[in-house]
Amino acid sequence: MVNLIIDDKQVTAPKTATIYEAAKLNGIDIPILCHDKKLKPFGACRMCLVEVEQMKGRQIPACTTPATEGMIIRTSTPDIVKARKMVLELLLLNHPLDCPVCDKSGDCDLQNLTYEYKVNSNRFTDEKFSHEIDYNNPLIERDMNRCVLCGKCARICDEIVSYGALTFIDRGIETKIGCEFDDGLNCEFCGSCIAVCPVGSLLARPFKHKARFWAMTKHPSVCGYCGTGCNLTLGVKDNKVLTTIYDENQGFHNGQLCVRGRFGYQFINSAKRLTTPLIKKNGKLTEATWDEALELVASRLKGGNAVAALATPRLTNEELALFKKLLVVNVGTKNFDHAAGYAHAALTEGFASSFGVSASSATILDIQKSNLLIVIKTDAYETHPVVGFEVNMAVKNLGTKLSIISDKRGKLSKLPDAKTLVHFPGSEIAVLNAIAKTILDEKLADGSAAAIAGFAELEKSLAGFSAETVAGLSGISAAEIKKLAGEYATADKALIIFPVGQAYAGHAADLASAAANLAILTGKYGKEGCGVLCLSEKNNSQGAVDMGFYPQDGGLNALQILDACTDGSVKTLLIAGENPLSSYPNHNKVKAALEAVDFLVVSELFMTETAAMADVVLPVCSFAEKEGTFTSTDRRVQYFKAAIRKNIKIKSDFELISDLISRLGGSAPLSPAAQFSEIAASTPGYEGLSHVSLRKEGAFAAVSMAPVFVVPQVAATIAAEAGKLALVTGSALYHSGTLSQYGEGPMHVCPENYIELSRTDASANKIVEGEVVTVSSASGSIKLKAKVTPRMPAGVVFSPYHFSDAPINTIWNGSPVTSVTVSK
Amino acid sequence: MNPITPIINGMAITLKHMFMKPVTLQYPTERPKVAARFRGLHALNMYHDKAKCVACYLCPTVCPAKCITVEAAEDANHDKYASVYEIDMLRCIFCGYCVEACPVDAVKMTETFELANYHRQDFIYSKERLLEKQ
Ligand code: SF4
Ligand code: SF4
Ligand code: SF4
Ligand code: SF4
Ligand code: SF4
Ligand code: FES
Repeated sequence: MVNLIIDDKQVTAPKTATIYEAAKLNGIDIPILCHDKKLKPFGACRMCLVEVEQMKGRQIPACTTPATEGMIIRTSTPDIVKARKMVLELLLLNHPLDCPVCDKSGDCDLQNLTYEYKVNSNRFTDEKFSHEIDYNNPLIERDMNRCVLCGKCARICDEIVSYGALTFIDRGIETKIGCEFDDGLNCEFCGSCIAVCPVGSLLARPFKHKARFWAMTKHPSVCGYCGTGCNLTLGVKDNKVLTTIYDENQGFHNGQLCVRGRFGYQFINSAKRLTTPLIKKNGKLTEATWDEALELVASRLKGGNAVAALATPRLTNEELALFKKLLVVNVGTKNFDHAAGYAHAALTEGFASSFGVSASSATILDIQKSNLLIVIKTDAYETHPVVGFEVNMAVKNLGTKLSIISDKRGKLSKLPDAKTLVHFPGSEIAVLNAIAKTILDEKLADGSAAAIAGFAELEKSLAGFSAETVAGLSGISAAEIKKLAGEYATADKALIIFPVGQAYAGHAADLASAAANLAILTGKYGKEGCGVLCLSEKNNSQGAVDMGFYPQDGGLNALQILDACTDGSVKTLLIAGENPLSSYPNHNKVKAALEAVDFLVVSELFMTETAAMADVVLPVCSFAEKEGTFTSTDRRVQYFKAAIRKNIKIKSDFELISDLISRLGGSAPLSPAAQFSEIAASTPGYEGLSHVSLRKEGAFAAVSMAPVFVVPQVAATIAAEAGKLALVTGSALYHSGTLSQYGEGPMHVCPENYIELSRTDASANKIVEGEVVTVSSASGSIKLKAKVTPRMPAGVVFSPYHFSDAPINTIWNGSPVTSVTVSK
Repeated sequence: MNPITPIINGMAITLKHMFMKPVTLQYPTERPKVAARFRGLHALNMYHDKAKCVACYLCPTVCPAKCITVEAAEDANHDKYASVYEIDMLRCIFCGYCVEACPVDAVKMTETFELANYHRQDFIYSKERLLEKQ
């Protein structure tokens, strides 16, 4: 701590603080324009000038100057005010002053400072800029005439997003922010640059002229896409969500979002939303009243296990818990599941047996506290971009080491000093086992390991996994495996991260156990910066697991439920928000099951392909129209309330399930809050939480671990058949599940399915970028646009699973690796 | 005082007024002279053939009666314009704040004060009705 005097006030501040931070900590405001707490000090604008007595009263920038012991600082003498006024005059000299038509107006730092410092005339005159304005980009409008050259956009894109799309180009008075070769912007569209731009130079194109900043009410909420659980603020006017608003004080991520969170909100007010219950009559879905529809559904909920349910992990904890109650207590069935039955297996089977708890042993906050990160699959960035930002920051700012074990290269591979060990598709578990084996052989295991149950069995089972053997199996050299094993075992703190999801069939129980074994062997769990972090796919995937919405004591899992529909043992299938037809493996099989089942009920926001097959379709509301809690992938329980009123003709899933419970003669809690207190009373880790206590900020549900070694099953190598390519499925950065198809932002930049292939395979098959190719597997064939990228290894192709037009499950039947041929 | 005096005084005033110019305006045959600064019906100023309004939303923001509805849109040249500009004259209190707030001098108040009408709907002045008569 240092002691200093700011504006005659004796204050203390941490040693690392700048004058600006010291003042801020002590409640003294210094105006800033180019500074951002998330970014490194830059000192471009000189708005933050202060006088330091020891420096003979010279004016120095507060945001770049470290606070030192005994400093006597004045922040607003008449001289300083004069200097700041001049800074503003100079900035306004070339500024177009088009506030009336600028969407930033009302939220603009330059405007606010100009007002605060009463700069109403300018002593100088100069020409205005006449840079060309980029109106063509679908998401980001760039008007460099308004730019104050604070550099925040370029810095955030580099320091946090690590994309580097924007930079200063040209020199002197001509300097402006632009892309490579002054070209159009084609980046990952996270919108971070828009968020931090202090003026209206970078604006969200989809929000163009939609509303004035001051006319919107700002509703804090939780992102409804992935498991990161980012907090966001919805800008609402006339009961419509018009945009997302940046709030630098929101969440662990300081308001940072990815493209889905920032630009994917349009599904909420989409004109395609369902607004009335539908009942199939004579083969056609026709409008019905709620009463008719629910009465019909309730009458079909008989027969215990002949009823089954699939729910999307996008429902709230309260809804999932209530849904489970309906099924178990009122219907009497054990057959319910979510996420295709295997996307939660890493938690419900893997971690459940390895750590004794169905949750990760680390949080997202551990990423920046670790010394070594091992990421399994570069896709972790695409599935959870804001977690990716944490990795970026750890590696770039804190020098954290990063090793990636993946079947392809990716964005994370480009981080400084990142090591990517590219293995043959499907061999990741073998690689992890080889690391474990090396740790054991080289006596690097923690002293505590030998005493943990299952040690001997593990040791025995690893016999066949020497680095040399696995090198042949995986394509990663023995030396590299050994090196990584050594680094992991000797690192002070190390964290293993892997994504799971419906497209990552290989990332299930065995992978989780194999990763857990490494952490347990080296004692790297239950400590800061250590553990294994499983990135669960959807916004409430962890919640669905915590609520127990998966088959237990002999219930059927999702894929078995579909089989049971086909063979007739399940007669009524309730689907809440899932879209198996597009997102579960094996399109034809799912279709046959949904056709075969006697009675299909789908509650949905949209008329999805699955809903179109239903006997009853129930329109429900999105997260923005209801209250509840979501549990993020690292078990942060977060409360959100409705941002807009829902259409009176639709119900929330909570209301709908409550209604069914009362129709079946049971009683349901009156409100989500009451349901949540039941959850808090019965769910381990949720003790003491309530809607009221979560109102301000989410809270972590405690995770208590009881580690044992579990021998992971390693499937025989899943190599592509000779002469064919190995298809691996996954997620695209711009999408999450199938919901993002209804968000306009993601669809602007990634509108259709594609297949990514290496340059080698492309030239071997004479395929060029953008060409439509036929991809065939044993189960079918599909036409996809080709994308030729340097990141794919030869022989491996990648395709995401989000798209209902050309769904990848027509050629993919749930195996981690599928042999395909690609032809023109 | 003689009780008759007040009556005579009164009659004198009456008599005097009989020879003065009448104050009462024989509306509608006679029309009042409206001062230039009178705050009557609004009009939107034009610039060339377009409304000057750039849909900055300052007038709906400042309006104490909240009777102005503006919706902004982007035209083919990417300029911002008001695709909807409506004033509900039933609620307007003719304070003139809107005129004062406008940064581009797009709205003015005219001398028109005859706003009576038969239907509520007719008091909603759309952009077309407000556009300055050429
Ligand atoms: S949207 Fe994101 S990736 Fe694109 S330029 Fe802005 S900060 Fe960079
Ligand atoms: S575009 Fe915005 S954020 Fe970037 S330098 Fe200019 S003013 Fe700063
Ligand atoms: S999709 Fe995930 S990473 Fe993106 S904003 Fe939402 S929660 Fe955050
Ligand atoms: S005159 Fe006053 S009340 Fe009438 S529209 Fe203008 S601001 Fe509103
Ligand atoms: S203040 Fe002027 S420019 Fe702005 S919306 Fe009103 S009339 Fe249009
Ligand atoms: S805020 Fe300190 S120089 Fe810009």
